[in-house]
Amino acid sequence: MSLWLEKAIARANSTSDWLSPIREASLTALKETSWPTRKTEAWKYTSLKSVERASLSTGDLSEQETPEEIAGFESLNLIFRNGKFDTEGMQQALPEGLSITYLSSASDALKQASLNEVSQIKPERHLFGLVNDVLVEDVIRIEVAESVSISQPIRITSLIGLNSESHTRVYVKLNKASSLTVSEHYQGNAESLNTGFVEYEICAEAKLEHYRFALQTDKAISIGGCHFKLGERADLNSTLVGFGSDLSRVDTDIIYDGEFANAKLNAFYLLDGKELFDLHATVEHAVPNCTTLENVRGIVADHAKAVFNGRIHIHRDAQKTLAELNNRNLLLSDKAEINTKPELEIYADDVRCAHGATVAEIDKHALYYLESRGISRSKAQVMLNFGFINELIDQMPNQVLAEWIRPQIRDRFAKMEVTR
Amino acid sequence: MSNTTSSTENSMLKITDLHASVEEKNILKGLNLDVKPGEVHAIMGPNGAGKSTTGYVLSGREGYTVEQGSALLDGVEILDLEAEDRARAGLFLAFQYPVEIPGVSNLEFLKSSVDAQREARGEEAYTSAEFLKVAKEACKQVNLPLAFLKRGVNEGFSGGEKKRNELMQMILLKPKLCILDETDSGLDIDAMQVVANGVNSQRSPDRSFIIVTHYQRLLDYIKPDFVHVLSDGKIVKSGDASLAKELEAEGYSWIHNEPADELEGDLL
Amino acid sequence: MTEQIDKALEREYEAGFVSDIESETFEPGLNEDIIRRISSMKNEPEWMLEWRLKAFRVWQEMEEPDWAHINYSKIDFQAISYYSAPKSMKDKPKSLDEVDPELIRTYEKLGIPLIEQQMLAGIAVDAVFDSVSVVTTFREKLEEAGVIFCPISDAVHRFPDLVKKYLGSVVPTKDNYFAALNCAVFTDGSFVYIPKGTRCPMELSTYFRINELNTGQFERTLIIADEGSHVSYLEGCTAPQRDENQLHAAVVELVALDKAEIKYSTVQNWYPGDENGKGGIYNFVTKRGICHESAKISWTQVETGSAVTWKYPSCILKGDNSVGEFYSVALTRGAQQADTGTKMIHLGKNTKSTIISKGISAGKSNNSYRGLVRMNPGAQGARNFTQCDSLLIGDQCGAHTFPYVESRNPSAIVEHEATTSKVSDEQMFLCRQRGIEPEKAVSMIVNGFCKEVFKELPMEFAVEAGKLLEISLEGSVG
Ligand SMILES: Nc1ncnc2c1ncn2[C@@H]1O[C@H](COP(=O)(O)OP(=O)(O)O)[C@@H](O)[C@H]1O
Ligand SMILES: [Mg+2]
Repeated sequence: MSLWLEKAIARANSTSDWLSPIREASLTALKETSWPTRKTEAWKYTSLKSVERASLSTGDLSEQETPEEIAGFESLNLIFRNGKFDTEGMQQALPEGLSITYLSSASDALKQASLNEVSQIKPERHLFGLVNDVLVEDVIRIEVAESVSISQPIRITSLIGLNSESHTRVYVKLNKASSLTVSEHYQGNAESLNTGFVEYEICAEAKLEHYRFALQTDKAISIGGCHFKLGERADLNSTLVGFGSDLSRVDTDIIYDGEFANAKLNAFYLLDGKELFDLHATVEHAVPNCTTLENVRGIVADHAKAVFNGRIHIHRDAQKTLAELNNRNLLLSDKAEINTKPELEIYADDVRCAHGATVAEIDKHALYYLESRGISRSKAQVMLNFGFINELIDQMPNQVLAEWIRPQIRDRFAKMEVTR
Repeated sequence: MSNTTSSTENSMLKITDLHASVEEKNILKGLNLDVKPGEVHAIMGPNGAGKSTTGYVLSGREGYTVEQGSALLDGVEILDLEAEDRARAGLFLAFQYPVEIPGVSNLEFLKSSVDAQREARGEEAYTSAEFLKVAKEACKQVNLPLAFLKRGVNEGFSGGEKKRNELMQMILLKPKLCILDETDSGLDIDAMQVVANGVNSQRSPDRSFIIVTHYQRLLDYIKPDFVHVLSDGKIVKSGDASLAKELEAEGYSWIHNEPADELEGDLL
Repeated sequence: MTEQIDKALEREYEAGFVSDIESETFEPGLNEDIIRRISSMKNEPEWMLEWRLKAFRVWQEMEEPDWAHINYSKIDFQAISYYSAPKSMKDKPKSLDEVDPELIRTYEKLGIPLIEQQMLAGIAVDAVFDSVSVVTTFREKLEEAGVIFCPISDAVHRFPDLVKKYLGSVVPTKDNYFAALNCAVFTDGSFVYIPKGTRCPMELSTYFRINELNTGQFERTLIIADEGSHVSYLEGCTAPQRDENQLHAAVVELVALDKAEIKYSTVQNWYPGDENGKGGIYNFVTKRGICHESAKISWTQVETGSAVTWKYPSCILKGDNSVGEFYSVALTRGAQQADTGTKMIHLGKNTKSTIISKGISAGKSNNSYRGLVRMNPGAQGARNFTQCDSLLIGDQCGAHTFPYVESRNPSAIVEHEATTSKVSDEQMFLCRQRGIEPEKAVSMIVNGFCKEVFKELPMEFAVEAGKLLEISLEGSVG
């Protein structure tokens, strides 16, 4: 076991509260887990050295720190500062059918119910998920009542200060035929470490529109995940945007629990400098007749490194599954690196699955076409590279968020150098 | 073959009171049809009437259940035979939507089919060289470039090329009864003429045709002996070639239990 | 319909007979003494023995890999006999006339006549029976062209410089657990050297046969194609039908010097075990080639046998403009498990690789493609194209794809595509409506699925592969 893990275990919250049973179970599991090495498949390309080196504390973060303004985004705001939930800010009036509960102050009945729900979707294999179970102070529960559509999006922001660490946990339940939009924001560039996990239970016929902006950069280590369970005819539309940092890792898991459910997952990452971004996307087709469409794209410049592992697992009974995964990458420099692995594991015969991955320079034909219209080569390259990501921005259902992220992507992109 | 009595009195295909269903849905509801050797019958009718189903049920496609009735091909009951045995007995279906079989060369596929026919008729299989000659001939007849023999079965063929490929198979297999399911759909006038010529060249006193079509056009080139209207799983009207012209002019709205009428009935 | 498809795929294992041959077989067990005895049976020079012992010590420090998608009962390396040879082979027969007729009959039964007059013209055969090479045909004719084709145990004596220089140069002893084991205990296999600028006048082939109970086969093949030369090499293998699992852990090394070309084809038909997974060969094989400038190595494999297959024929594309190819058909049925694929390591500029993998899973089997494409920083302008297709037959089997793509060069292009399909009802109906029997239809459709790979096999082997999957009329249109 590593020193870091030992310290984390030692710091585990020892007060006895409603979360104790989950904490205890994860503690036991953690003690049996060995610290990942290059030989650990899930960490084959991503070194945990920067985590091992981190010596951080759970200090307070000034209340002055507020999330960046998103023009026109009229959201309900949930804010974590260094992992502490801002209950003051939660005085806002909630729409009918929506409840947001800080579980330690919830009724015993809700605590008891939550014990059977929290940590059920997040797969046990995620090491840092277990760490989060052990170190998290509390869990926020967001619930939409049956058949209720909440039009106002919920924005969850995790802020973190210098030399701090933060562990956040949210459980979201969309009851039958309800709908909701959730946007998760992780930001900051100070030396720090955060683990942020959100579990989504999307019951039958419910619909979730989801965003995760994993925008922490520089020294901010960020490891987290979003885990979705879909009931019958449930629908998920998720967009993930990643910038890299010393270590930025996101695990997404989509688990089908009812038939005729659909998920669309778009993800894109732009990496520069010495950044690392690692996305592990797993889809479990455990029941028949579900559809997954995954589109993952990345641009990697300078000394940056991207890791993508896309796994689709079609279980024995999951006949009539349709699953497609496409991963496209551009490398802009000869010091940059991309490692991609689009895996398929299939145990049912009447399915349609296709996987594609490419690592390439930009399309020469398209380049030629632009040049033939009088556009300079360098300008044409920028246009094409940006266009490659822009296609996914265009597909974001929320236009306000799209228009907010687009210029940031453009700026980030403009700073990237093409050195080849 | 001379005009024996058998070829006039016996039927090439005699369907009696055929009821059939797909996925527990009744589609054919008492179909009767008598096709004598050498005759060409056209079947027309609204979408969803059961025309394609008739072809599938006769040729033994899986998933189609015969509830009752019989179908005699040249005096032999075919409804209990395996699909391949019906084919060997001389039944040929040109598909409305021919499927692709990637990697299997058309030539290999054709030779396997023809070998199976010849074996059923007690004839020797062709040598590869002999067959190549015959196949090239058939290819020319339907106006397909020879390269199509080398390509995978229907793999990447255009709609028209698929239909011509079906026709080529018909020419090579020399069946007793040919069912053409909307072979003319989606074809331009030239391609349609190729189809018509193909059929006409194969007409003979001991071969019969059932031609499923929506268009009078094809019937201008292939003169049918009879035209039937199939609706809701039954033949609701039969006549000579002039019936096709009437249908072209009037459509099917006169048919009583046509779905559109039912809907109207509900609204009233 | 699945029933019909299963029937179509079901076939007797025709090579399952046991030859009645008196053999000298070591008692089971593995230690330095056994290795010394193997070495002395082969009359090896001291350096060879030292090499083996070093490998053995390395192996003892290593752990059996467990990352592959396979499950098998642990191998007891002490329960295996590491050497078995027909007694009649003891005093090295000088010519075919001196070889035990029962041995010759064994190969005849397998369709490999060893008497030159009866042989297919144009193929020279090295026949390896358990731990020894029985005979190598057409040796004289090949030597006229300067081509060396002999058992590796002979090469150790006759061409020690070549062996010393290249043995272990592509697959180092430490490479992996099974390769290290092979280095310690390998018994026989083929050695090929094609001189500069020479086009080998005939196809070379080695036919491996395991006969003795409880023996492992550890063959070692080394092929060196000198500058500008060309060779096509074929490999076949079978084993008797037995209830016990037997281990086959081979190492094959290919060296293609500047502008040389090696085409290596395998039809692997080791005994697969019965429907329930009893018996069968454990096939743990390391095959790798290195390409120098403008050289080309092409691996084609048709894997239909073995209870467990663990095999990744690979190319190190070291020289600029070199080319690596991997064409694979892997058919698993019953309780078979295959984890196979390739590694293409692009080091040089403008290197190219193509991977075409066709996996067919039936019964309760599991079939995995595992591949690595690596573009190193120096691989300016390199290209890879990978196509992995799986065909599932029935709902009790599994088809998996584990492709690793690593790129560190912005001008390199990697494309990976994977698809999954089944033999569709529509395809089956079309064939049957044309009078084709279901069994024949399935084998036709499956063969069609494999076509891109079969067309890479040398003619004579395409026939053998075709028999395995019942192929006909392929490529007969001019
Ligand atoms: N596999 C099937 N499952 C359910 N219904 C089917 C199936 N195939 C055909 N049908 C139904 O049977 C009816 C007749 O279809 P079809 O024979 O294709 O009509 P036509 O060829 O006359 O247009 C239609 O209502 C169609 O929807
Ligand atoms: Mg139809």
